[in-house]
Amino acid sequence: MALKSFTALGLILTLLVSCEKKNEINDPDSLVPKTVVEDPGLPSIEANGAKLHAQAFGPQDSTLVICIHGGPGDNYQYLLNTISLANEGYRMVYYDQVGAGLSERKPKSYYTSFGANGINNIFYDELKAVIAHYKTHPDQKVILLTQSWGSILATGYAGKYPAEIDGLILAEPGGFKWDDVITYVKASRSFNLWSELLNDATFFDQFITGKENEHAILDYKALLLSSRNDIVGDFGSILGTNKQHYPNVRDGAVISAAAYEIADKYKPDFSEGIEKFKKKILFLYSENNKAYPDSWAQKIASTLPNKQIVKINGVGHSGMFDQLNTWNNITQPLLINYLNSLR
Amino acid sequence: MKPLIITIIALGLFQTVKGQTINWKTIDSSKHIVTAGFAWDYSLSYSAGYGYKLNTKLPIVLSLNFTKASGENLLDDFKTKIGGQIVLLNQPTFKGIITLNGIYRRFENDLVRLQNIGSEVKGTFGYYKPKWLVACEVGFDKAILTHFKHSDTYKKDIYQNVKDGWYEPATGGNFSYGLQTGYSFKKSDITLNFGKVITQDFKTTPLIPFYLRLGYNNKFR
Repeated sequence: MALKSFTALGLILTLLVSCEKKNEINDPDSLVPKTVVEDPGLPSIEANGAKLHAQAFGPQDSTLVICIHGGPGDNYQYLLNTISLANEGYRMVYYDQVGAGLSERKPKSYYTSFGANGINNIFYDELKAVIAHYKTHPDQKVILLTQSWGSILATGYAGKYPAEIDGLILAEPGGFKWDDVITYVKASRSFNLWSELLNDATFFDQFITGKENEHAILDYKALLLSSRNDIVGDFGSILGTNKQHYPNVRDGAVISAAAYEIADKYKPDFSEGIEKFKKKILFLYSENNKAYPDSWAQKIASTLPNKQIVKINGVGHSGMFDQLNTWNNITQPLLINYLNSLR
Repeated sequence: MKPLIITIIALGLFQTVKGQTINWKTIDSSKHIVTAGFAWDYSLSYSAGYGYKLNTKLPIVLSLNFTKASGENLLDDFKTKIGGQIVLLNQPTFKGIITLNGIYRRFENDLVRLQNIGSEVKGTFGYYKPKWLVACEVGFDKAILTHFKHSDTYKKDIYQNVKDGWYEPATGGNFSYGLQTGYSFKKSDITLNFGKVITQDFKTTPLIPFYLRLGYNNKFR
């Protein structure tokens, strides 16, 4: 009798659900926005064998400020407050790294096939190509404005090509040596076992699973996972009332997993060669990132040769850029002073 | 009864219970089983359940189970299971059990509310004595249909054209495999289940790729 009731209940539920029009979980734009491959109307460039979501603002021939986002697998939307530097005469360049943001997706095997050269072939060659794309004359200065993973990437690039970069703005790189990166990542994700934050990060694994290269599903999951992290003082998409309106945000789960896999296997030192970089470096860190105390900032910055260290109060990991009030009143004036000092 | 069970499986509405581990050697005289558990089952969670033993030739227990994920918000993330267990191999000490459950589960964070209808099937084979048991278990948990309802924050700050509603095909599926063991005394069982979880493509794992559950059963007439 009980089994008959269960079956009847199952049939009713099935009929009810069947009546509604259903969405396809694998559609490229049901849960996340389309990439530049799926939507040719988005601004893009070809660089290093991939179609990248990219934009530039400001006078074409003036000093290039290349903005490099975090992750790996994040996107440049949260750096867009810095567009205001275009009004100061700089050529502001934004690009989503391959596999991240709205840039072209590649299968995981594409990235891992580079082996020990993965970081170089995926990220350094890509940055080189982006700079080459926007550079209009050989004497045009190039400054890297970076955050988190972007700062790690930029430090590695400046160490490899010290003569090609004229200024370096780093904001909370987790570490440059791989062991330091891992230490930081663990500290920044050491959620309380009983907390809502941890269960928000793990409970939905039973609702949605994606195969290795199902980008839309995996990117959606990555976005839910990274939506909030109180430890680093970021509130992800909930950035407060002073955030600009950025309607199309997408994470890159596959490039993120591949980059971690490559780095964990080959343990790169991103500070290699940075001693050859003689220009002043601006090193920023935040007050509210509990995983980035003063002692960690001093330790990580100690490998940089010529630097100015500044703590930004009142914000977390990315707040110095994505919180408009902080950007307008603290970070932007600081950056303008730094950029003027490079002239 | 057999065609009914097959119908239920065909509908895909019933799935394996990771929750209720029973010492089948000590259940003979009992009709009711009340269970409580504490587990790492995708997240830190607490569960409570009830089982009713049918008067059939092959032992069958119908069960209802509720699991709540830990966290500050009381009922935003939970899972309910309804189904049963049947002992298909019923030797004096060796027993083989199939567990089938239908699942309704809910998840909510700042960006989305998910409601899922799923199923779980589990096979258990083990050695059962009056005072203890040890068995291996293999299960598959399928998220068949999921309803997505995104928050205004998601639509305003992340993706304004996101589509709410029911999604298909199945949005997820995870295999689990592990061991269960237990100690029985008077009318009670203390049980422990542990093992690994892997997604249905056998290449990736959930963020927490294992499960662990400590359970308590009280049996009575």
